[in-house]
Amino acid sequence: MKDLIRDFTQAYGPSGNEDQIREVIRRAVEPLCDRVSTDALGNLIAFRQGRGEPVLRRRVMLAAHMDEIGLIVTHIDEQGFLRFAEVGGLSAHVLMGQRVVFGNGTEGSIGNERVDEIKDLKLDKMFIDIGARSAAEAREHVEVGDMAVYQRGVSEMGTRVAAKAMDDRIGCVVIAETLRRLGESPHDIHAVFTVQEEVGLRGARTSAFAVDPHFGLAFDVTGVGDTPRARSILNMELGKGACIKAKDASLVVPPAVKNLLVKTAKDNAIPYQLEVLPAGGTDTAAIQLTRSGVPAGCISIPTRYIHSPVELLDLGDVEACVALAVKVLQGPIEV
Amino acid sequence: METKEFLRRLSEGVGVSGYEHGLHDLIREALAPYAGEFSTDALGNCVAVRRGCGEEPRVSVMLAAHQDEIGLMVTKIDERGFLRVAQVGGFDPRVLVAQEVVVHGRRSLPGIIGMKPPHILTDEERKKAPKLEDLFIDIGLPAGEARETVQVGDVVTLNRAFTELHGGLVAGKSLDDRAGVAALLECLRRLQSLRHAADIYAVATTQEEVGLRGATTSAYGLHPDLAVAIDVCHAGPGLDEPGASELGKGPAVAVGANIHPKLRDLLLAVAADCGIPIQHEVSPGATGTDAWAINIARAGIPTALLSIPLRYMHTSVETAAMSDVVQTGRLLAEFCGRVDRALVEGLRWN
Repeated sequence: MKDLIRDFTQAYGPSGNEDQIREVIRRAVEPLCDRVSTDALGNLIAFRQGRGEPVLRRRVMLAAHMDEIGLIVTHIDEQGFLRFAEVGGLSAHVLMGQRVVFGNGTEGSIGNERVDEIKDLKLDKMFIDIGARSAAEAREHVEVGDMAVYQRGVSEMGTRVAAKAMDDRIGCVVIAETLRRLGESPHDIHAVFTVQEEVGLRGARTSAFAVDPHFGLAFDVTGVGDTPRARSILNMELGKGACIKAKDASLVVPPAVKNLLVKTAKDNAIPYQLEVLPAGGTDTAAIQLTRSGVPAGCISIPTRYIHSPVELLDLGDVEACVALAVKVLQGPIEV
Repeated sequence: METKEFLRRLSEGVGVSGYEHGLHDLIREALAPYAGEFSTDALGNCVAVRRGCGEEPRVSVMLAAHQDEIGLMVTKIDERGFLRVAQVGGFDPRVLVAQEVVVHGRRSLPGIIGMKPPHILTDEERKKAPKLEDLFIDIGLPAGEARETVQVGDVVTLNRAFTELHGGLVAGKSLDDRAGVAALLECLRRLQSLRHAADIYAVATTQEEVGLRGATTSAYGLHPDLAVAIDVCHAGPGLDEPGASELGKGPAVAVGANIHPKLRDLLLAVAADCGIPIQHEVSPGATGTDAWAINIARAGIPTALLSIPLRYMHTSVETAAMSDVVQTGRLLAEFCGRVDRALVEGLRWN
């Protein structure tokens, strides 16, 4: 699983530019399913036919987003510095001192204009320096509209791991591992590695319309309250198991779906925690609002420092998420 | 069921967005006697259908009022047994202080939202409104016992009895938008003695307060030819601009980009013909109501909006005039009676 985490997090794939990560995931999941396809927005759909008891068969959509947050070049000045806007949610303070990389491998350092007080630092006072001496030299490597992402390796810390883009490549890892370990499942499974989640759940919206599932299950990261002087109203902690979502800013999970996940975790002694996340949304919401409505839930991986290049999580929690997903998919889904 | 009694039971009922199932039996009991069919869909929308007498394929009208209420959800039970909460919908934290609540855990528990007494507030604290993160619910139990009964994700509602004020006014929690649901009952009852060509879908929608979600999926599923959403609008005191709604002067008929002009014209014409008092509500953009979600469902659905004037919205003392609820139902019924294929075809732009 550590290899998958390395391969998936290190690949390049900001929202709308998921070609590279899609190939990495395709190679990993192709042997684990019956058919792999892509759609107009670039979603990768791995289909696995149900086996056994046809009366139990449901069309199930799994979703984890493969896009990551990034920066998009808006202007190249005469000296060759690149101005940029955010793709997804970026913080100016987190960006200070970072290194970024474009899809063609061009690397850059983030610099900023002088500000009197650090709280005045905004993205429009920052720029990417790719070492170019002029606009013409910069344009040999990068154009307006090109996107960059954090450049950051993986840190292994015993059972804990930190990397960029854990949001939501770890969800992609959970789905890949779930497909690998699933064995018999009565359900037709459409495992969708979605695009453009960070800019508005867009890939999940269109892929869910096409799949038209009876049931949806998304996998994404969630915030925690277990660091020094963290936001005190959050219950979630690293190392306490899979998070079963009750609510985030984008949806209220139907009680029947939440209860199915809780019961499955309890029956199989899988560690879990209940999650209420006041801010942030997930693909679950887009699935739920598809056509005339789809019961959908979310298994979340508790993660520290979300949207930074050092997103940190516990492998035990990832294992719990996989175990829970496997058990849910092996059983009847009546919601 | 009598309309005011229905509204009382709705107001005192429990149905936070996404958790509306506590209201379903009551809504069925009230609406089903006036509908040939009654069903509940994947998101919990309650749909009462009255078939019309027009030729098949019949045209259809969706009436939508949301049944969900704003509430709170437990995010954490702290080491002393106090509950921390997040919003489900939009409370102003200032109105939560010193409220009695019901915590819907394994069993329902009374709770109160506490606050530092004024004697020990610092000057700075005195000037600031509390944030939701600063508030906590006291259920009287130590952490161990609290955790046996309450879990993260349990919903919390305000505890408030429905009250009749003088002058035909009623006050309570969740009149937004259960006054609209009560108007659906009033409408269906009147439709019994009216010929209507169109099929009528009276929908008590869910999850409006968290993003018009029930209306989004039910409009897709029902695929009506046109729709009228029923919600509440602001009435004074506190509203000084000219043209603001007032209680007791009838439903407000909305005008704006979200509203089909010909449907608005028809509502105004029906009101004039029947002597129903109306007011006007100007809502230039997306109205922020179910009317918006329905309007942009599928390939687009012509939509109108009726609003029941309401004082003190999103508090536990929301106040409305019963006469406005009744007149809204009456206007809806008379409107439904006028809908036929010619009207629907006339809604298309050349």
